[in-house]
Amino acid sequence: MVLATPVVETADLKKTYILGKVPVDALRGVNLKVEKGDFVAILGPSGSGKSTLLNMIGALDKPTEGKVFIEGVDVSTLNDNQLADLRRSIGFVFQFFNLIPRLDAKGNVELTLSIAGLDKNERRKRAEELLETVGLKERMNHKPAELSGGERQRVAIARALANNPRFLLMDEPTGNIDSKTAKEIMGLVKRLNKDERVTIIMITHDQQLATQAKRIVKMLDGTIIKEIDQL
Amino acid sequence: MKVGDVLSYAFGAIRLRKLRAGLTTLGVVIGIAAIVALLSISQGLQTTITDQLKSGFATDTLIVSPGSGGGIFSGVGGGIGGAGSDFSLVVTDTQIINEIEDVVTSAAVIQEVGYIKSGDRTVTAYVVGVDFAIYSEIYGSTFVAESGEIPLNPSNDAVVVGKRVSDPWQNGTIVCDVNDSVEIVWTNTTVRPPKNETHFVTVAAVLEEIGGLSLTGPSDSAVYIPISQAQSFFGTDEVDRIIVKLTSDDEATIDRVSKAIEDEDAFSGQVSVRSSTAVLNTISSVFSTIELFLAGIAAISLLVAGVGIMNIMIVSLMERTREIGILKALGMKSRTVLAIFISEAVIIGLLGATFGIGLGWVLANVAATIFTGGGFAVATGQGAVSGAFAITPVLTPTLLMGAFGFGIAVSVIFAIYPAWRASKLKPVDALRYE
Repeated sequence: MVLATPVVETADLKKTYILGKVPVDALRGVNLKVEKGDFVAILGPSGSGKSTLLNMIGALDKPTEGKVFIEGVDVSTLNDNQLADLRRSIGFVFQFFNLIPRLDAKGNVELTLSIAGLDKNERRKRAEELLETVGLKERMNHKPAELSGGERQRVAIARALANNPRFLLMDEPTGNIDSKTAKEIMGLVKRLNKDERVTIIMITHDQQLATQAKRIVKMLDGTIIKEIDQL
Repeated sequence: MKVGDVLSYAFGAIRLRKLRAGLTTLGVVIGIAAIVALLSISQGLQTTITDQLKSGFATDTLIVSPGSGGGIFSGVGGGIGGAGSDFSLVVTDTQIINEIEDVVTSAAVIQEVGYIKSGDRTVTAYVVGVDFAIYSEIYGSTFVAESGEIPLNPSNDAVVVGKRVSDPWQNGTIVCDVNDSVEIVWTNTTVRPPKNETHFVTVAAVLEEIGGLSLTGPSDSAVYIPISQAQSFFGTDEVDRIIVKLTSDDEATIDRVSKAIEDEDAFSGQVSVRSSTAVLNTISSVFSTIELFLAGIAAISLLVAGVGIMNIMIVSLMERTREIGILKALGMKSRTVLAIFISEAVIIGLLGATFGIGLGWVLANVAATIFTGGGFAVATGQGAVSGAFAITPVLTPTLLMGAFGFGIAVSVIFAIYPAWRASKLKPVDALRYE
C-alpha cells in the first residue's frame, strides 16, 4: 500500500470548449491518480480528450470544473509565476518535438536549465550528461534540422529530464518517427522509468505502444472507460 | 532566467533574422542621424553666429535707443523700437548720459541706408555718423584702420569705410581705397518727392576686417562720416542710438547704469537700454526655439521608425507564437518573455542609436563642408552685404546622450505592446498555433 501523496491526481475534471457557438465537452469528469514511479499510458482515439487531459495535468490550460493536484498542490490556486515554476518541474515531450530550431541539441537542453537559472558551466555539464544518457553524445552540436526524427525526440527527452522533473508528460512521443526508432525511444523511456524511477505519463492512440506501460488508462468521449494494470 | 541569458537569447533571435533586424535598425539609424545632424549643425550655427556677434561686440557697452521697451533690433536698421513714439534722442543727449556715474563716454549714432559710388561701381552700405574719436575709444579693438588713419579731428569730407565697402566681393576688386574720392548717395524720403542727396568725400581710412555680424558695433559694410557732417547731410539731430561705454562689464554696473539712464528725467521714460549681453541672450533663445523645431521634425522620423519596430515585432510575435508556447511550457515566466522581447528592442535601439549618431555626425560635417565651400551666405544684421562663414557642427554631450536615450526609448516604447502581448499568450494556445 502506497501512502505517499500521488504525483498527479485529478478530481472530477471537466473541460468545455466553445467551438464557434457550440460547446464541446472535451472532458466529462476525469478521476486519475498517478503514483511516483508509475508509467501510465493514456490510450484513446482522436477526440477522446486525452490531449486535453495532458494540457490540464501539465498546467498548460485550466479546467472548466474539477481540480488537478500535483504532489498534493491544487493547481487552480497558483498564480502565473507559480504555474511557470510548476511547469519547470514537469518534463514535456511533444509529438512534434518542439525544439527551438536556431539552437543546437545542447543549446535546447541548456535553455531549460537557463530558464531554471543555472549558470553557464553547470548547465553545459548537465546538458552533456543528459545527451549522453539519451545516446546523442556525438550529435550534441547539431541543430534540429540536421537531426533525424528519432534524434530530435531524444533531444526532447533529454530536455524534459534536465530539471529532474516530478514526472514526464509525453504526447505521442513516437507518433512522428519510424517504428524502429520508436522502439529505441520506448526502450529509453522504459529504462528511465525502471532505472531512474522517473514517473511517466504518456498519451497515445497506439495500442501496441500502450502495452509498454505499467498501466493503461483507456479514454473515450472525455471519460476514462477502463484502467488496465499490466504488472 | 539570468539577465545575461535573456540578452543572449534576444540577441540570438535578432541574429536569426538579420535582414529584417537590419532594416528595422536602419529606421532608428535614420531617425537618430536626422536629429544629430540637424541639431549639431544648428548648434554649430549658433556658436558661429554668437562668436561673430561677439567679435563686433564690446561687452562693457550699453545701447540706448528711443522708445520705451524697444525691440531687440531697434538699434539696427532705423529703430523699430522707436516707432509710434514722438520722443527722439538727439546728439547732445550724450552729455546727459556722460554725467551718469560709471559712464566713461558715449557716442551718438545717426544711421541711414545709402550707397557709395566710385566711378561706375556702387556698393550699398550703411551710412553711419559718429564721433570718430569717441567711437574708436569705445570700440578700440574693432574700429581700427587697416590702411590710412582714422582722423580724430576729421575734416567734413573725411570718411572711414568698412572692409566690405572697400572690397565688397572679397576678391581684390577694390571699389574705394584710402585717399580715393567717392560719392555717398542717400535718398531723402522726408521730402516730396523723395530726393537723392549726394555728398562728395575722401576715404581717410579702411577698417580692418571685423568679420562679425556687427549687430550693434562697427560693421564691415558701413561707411562712417563725422557726426556733425551726418547732422547736416541727413538734416536731423535725431540719433538712432547712443552707445555708452561703462567702467566695467559686470552685471551690477550694467544694471545700475541701465536703470539710471531709463530713469533720467530728460528722457521721461521714453528710452530703452540694452546691454550687448542681453542681445546675445535673446539670440540664444531664438536659437533654442529653432533647435526645438528642428528636433521636432527629426523626432517625427524616429516615430516612424518606432512604428516600424512595432510592426516588425508584431509580425515576429506571430511567427514565434509556437516558440513562446515552448518557452512557457519549459517554465519560462511571463515577465521573462516580456524581457526577451523588450531586450530585442533595446538591442535594436542601441545599435540604431550608435550608428545613427555616427551617421548624423558624418552628415552634419558633409553638410557643413558643402555650405562653407559653396559660400553659404547669411545676411548680416546690416542686410546690405553678405558674408560667407564656416559652420563647425557641434556635438555636445547633452545631444549625444539625448540622441542615445531617445533612440532606445522610442524602440522600447513601441515594443511594449507586442512584448506585452507575447507575455500574455496562453501556453496551450501558443503551442497549438500553426
